[in-house]
This record gives sequence, C-alpha cells and structure tokens, in this order.
Amino acid sequence: MSGSRYARTVFDAGVREYREIYWTPGHQPRETDVLAAFRLMPQPDVAPEEAAAAVAAESSTATWTTVWTDRLTTLERYQARVYSLEPVPGRQNQYLAYIAYPLELFEEGSVTSMMASITGNVFGFKAIRALRLEDLRIPVAYVKTFPGPPNGIQVERDKLNKYGRPLLGATLKPKLGLSARNYGRACFELLRGGLDFTKDDENITSQPFMRWGDRFQFVMEAVRKAETETGERKGHYLNVTAPDCDQMLERAEFARQLGSPIIMHDYLVGGFAAHTTLSKWCRRTGMLLHVHRALHAVIDRQKDHGIHFRVLAKWLRLAGGDHLHTGTVVGKLEGDREATIGVVDLLREDVVPADRGRGIYFDQEWAALPAVLPAASGGIHVWHMPALVEIFGDDSVLQFGGGSAGHPQGSRAGATANRVALEACVQARNEGRDLTAQGPDILKQAARHSAELAAALETWREIRFDFEAVDTPDVMPA
Amino acid sequence: MRLETFSYLPKLSTEQLVQQIRSILGRHLVVGIEFAVAPDPYDHYWAMWKLPLFDTDDPATVLAELDACRQANPGAYIKINGYDPARQGQVVSFVASQPEQGT
Repeated sequence: MSGSRYARTVFDAGVREYREIYWTPGHQPRETDVLAAFRLMPQPDVAPEEAAAAVAAESSTATWTTVWTDRLTTLERYQARVYSLEPVPGRQNQYLAYIAYPLELFEEGSVTSMMASITGNVFGFKAIRALRLEDLRIPVAYVKTFPGPPNGIQVERDKLNKYGRPLLGATLKPKLGLSARNYGRACFELLRGGLDFTKDDENITSQPFMRWGDRFQFVMEAVRKAETETGERKGHYLNVTAPDCDQMLERAEFARQLGSPIIMHDYLVGGFAAHTTLSKWCRRTGMLLHVHRALHAVIDRQKDHGIHFRVLAKWLRLAGGDHLHTGTVVGKLEGDREATIGVVDLLREDVVPADRGRGIYFDQEWAALPAVLPAASGGIHVWHMPALVEIFGDDSVLQFGGGSAGHPQGSRAGATANRVALEACVQARNEGRDLTAQGPDILKQAARHSAELAAALETWREIRFDFEAVDTPDVMPA
Repeated sequence: MRLETFSYLPKLSTEQLVQQIRSILGRHLVVGIEFAVAPDPYDHYWAMWKLPLFDTDDPATVLAELDACRQANPGAYIKINGYDPARQGQVVSFVASQPEQGT
C-alpha cells in the first residue's frame, strides 16, 4: 500500500497557511480564555496576519504541517485564535497581536504549564524577527486554581505589628566575602539603627567563605538582639535558593527552627516549580517569603523581544511570594516610572483595569488572591525618600543597601538616617504636604533633629541616576 | 526603646497629633485607642480603651478619649490606630503617648 496515496484519502496532507485557521479577526474571546498581547515583528516578507497566526498556532494546536492525528480530536476546542492585530504607532513593521487561548490548554495551578505553551517554541520561530509577550489576562477561573502569596500584605503587617508606613530594608554589603560572624555584625548594626529587614544579596547562597548554616545562626542572633534592644520586630531575608529542592527545603526548615519570620528565594533562577514548592511550604508554616528576581533583565529589558516584567510579576503573584523586587524608578537600575507603577498595581490591587499608558493591556481581576509588597531596591538613598514614598505609598519595602552602610558614621547611623527620613516624609504626607515639591525642605527640617540624617544628606547630595529608560510603554491613541 | 511608626521623630505636638488624627479620619478609617504598661513587640493584643470609635469624625473626640485613657492609666503607652473594615485590618498605628514623657 502506498502511504502517501492512502494519507491523501483521509486528510489533506501538506502545509497550510496558519492564517486560514488561527487568524479570526473579530472573534469574541470567552471570559475563561487566557488572553495574550504580543509585540510582533514579522520577517520582511511575511504578512503580519500570517506571523500572528503562526504564534497562535504553534503555542496551541498546530505544528508546521498538517498531521493525520489532528483528525482524532475536535481541534476547534483547543485552538488559540488571533482576534485582533494592530500596528504599533511610530514603529516600523511592528504589531500588537492579541491571542485568546482556551482554558483547557493549561494545567490547573501551574505557571510552568502557561510558560511552556505561551512562551515556548514561538519565540524562536524563523518567520518572526522578534516577539515579546507584553501582557497576559489570567481569567478568574484560572486564578482560583493558584495558591498565591503565602501570607499577603495585611497578614505580614499584622504579624510584624508595622503599620502606616513603608517597611525599610537593606541588602548587606559587600555582596560577597564576609565571614558569618562579620555578616551578623553588619546585620545587627542596620537593624539596631532602625531598619525592619536586612537581606542576603542574591549571590549569597552557601560559599566556602560563609556556609549557609553558619550564616543563619549568626544572623538570627543579630535579629533577636536587635528586637530585644529596640522593642520592634525585625527580620533578615535568609536566602534559601539552593542547588536542588531538597537543599532548598532543608535550609527553609532550619530558618524556621531558628525562629526567622522570613526567608528569601530567587524565583527565576530557581525556576517556577521549585518556587511554587517553597511558596506552598511557606503557606503551611506561616513563613514570609521575600522574592528576588535575578535573571529578569535578560528576559524583560529589551522592548522588542522577550517577556515583559509585568507578566513575570503576575506569574509570581499566582505562584506565591510576599515581597517582589519591582525596581525603584529613581535608583540605579532600569525601570520606567509609569510601567513600574503598573507592575506595582498588578501586585497589590484586587482589580486592575487596562491602562495602556502604564503598559497594562487587559483588565485583571485577582479574585481576592493575597497581595504582594513591591520591594524597591538598587542605588537609592535618603534624598530619594520623598519620591519613593510618593511613588510606592505605604505598602512597599524600600531597601537602602549602600544608602545605609555607606553612611560616614557607619551602618547604624545610616539606618537611623533612613528611618528618620522615612517617618518625616510619612508625617508630612499625612499632613497634606506635597512630597514632590517640598521633599528637600521636609528632609532638611527633619535633619535638625537628627545628626545621622544631616550627615547622610551631606554625603549623597549630588548622586543621581538620570538615564533614559530602555523600555517604555508605547503612547497609544485614545 | 522604639515603638514603630514615628518613634524616630521628636514627640508630636498636640497640633501635629491632631493633623495625624485628621488624616486617619479623612481616609474614612475607624480610630481605635489601645494601651499597654509593658509593650512587647510580640504582643498583638494591647488592652482596648473602650470600643473603636466607629462613628467619630471629630479629632477633638479622639483627643478627649486619649486624655481619658491617660488619666485612667498613667503608666501606660497609648496607641492610636486606624482600622480599615474593607481590608479587615489596621492600616495606621502609632504611639501617641508614653509615660516617661510626663504627658
């Protein structure tokens, strides 16, 4: 029997244009569909409809050729569809493609399932020059299958007795090379001076100069002593990011035994499967989970290709975390102001309406999923405090690493300077004063009562990071 | 010893205190007053001074209750809280009176 002749009698072998099936302009997505907005640059000789349809096809039911096994199912049920395509204003050969994915394509409670489908092969497609996932609408029906943050903002505040102001933290410096005992000293000075949290840098795991068990014990001694002397709750983000999940959980368990209120994980480096395992462990044990985002700029910084951070942030809220780094707007690291505020809303609010000016393409409902505290960290100092309080509001963690330990009188004075500056800004804001216009005056006035703040204001007077952001939302016609 | 928000600033004057209370009321939060003789950072339940002032929108009423609490508990630390029923949680809390300050 001739295979090819036989095949033609049962199905139409060969290659069909994707747009015949997957390009359905005007299609009404269902309330339960996962919706994606892709920024798309086709190769010069590929029609945008075909390129967009290829993305929908390859991330759902199709491969490059028709196959006989297509006939064993009703593919219409599972096909993703391009329902809208629009050129990006001011950009050559660049389009926004909106794709609707039926919910049945995804496994319940699984970020890895969404990633493998929606951000799988399509990003390497030859017919596409560049592709970026700008936003995802996760339908409520899907949201409800995820655990979300282990504690959430309000529970964290209630546990730690901290209200009506942003929380203050600092990453211990130097990043690498301190012994465990010296590291504990650096931690103690900062907490004793007035910070709420200190933090392991992302590259601190368990190196020969400081093994994790030694670090955990010295740091927890510092935390307890600072609590006794100040009368306030303190914590250190003990990084449990490890070579494998067994060791990750072993470190988390030891942190719990030592009485630490919080641990830390690098979610992109560790991966979503490991992260979700840890997040569920935190829910079971009541541990707070601080989440770092090393690797993110590799994935999210380029405007034309990759995954926007707002998607990585939404995935984190689903998988679970109590704090997530979002950028500072004003500090040393990349982050457009409006786009950053958009991400902060997605982490904290229960309903987030679409807002193109902030790069938010879809309404997102979280259906009472707990909220995540945004952590602003990286090159910030006391002069930034008014802007940070204005931008991030009370429900945030502001982290001053160099901006504390770099104080001329040392870490403790640096921490006090930041705490005084923070409280002065909160007080002034509550009195109805304009932090943007009056920020410098508010700080100078507060420095009259604080030698620590006065010295900090003098030290960092001229330090600014005024560079244009690489990635900004497009200005769209209303 | 420090006692959380505003404990790194000079003691609030009465006028400054009124402005903070006005800010709580302006956000439509419920004011509550709590006190403790020996504050402990692990203690979530200071004694309540009466019930939360659910229907109060006048800072003067809050100040009068603060004063009454102080008269009745001269050795106590006294907090003013702002409670958000929608969020089911406290969103503002600071110590408004301490014994050693003699006020």
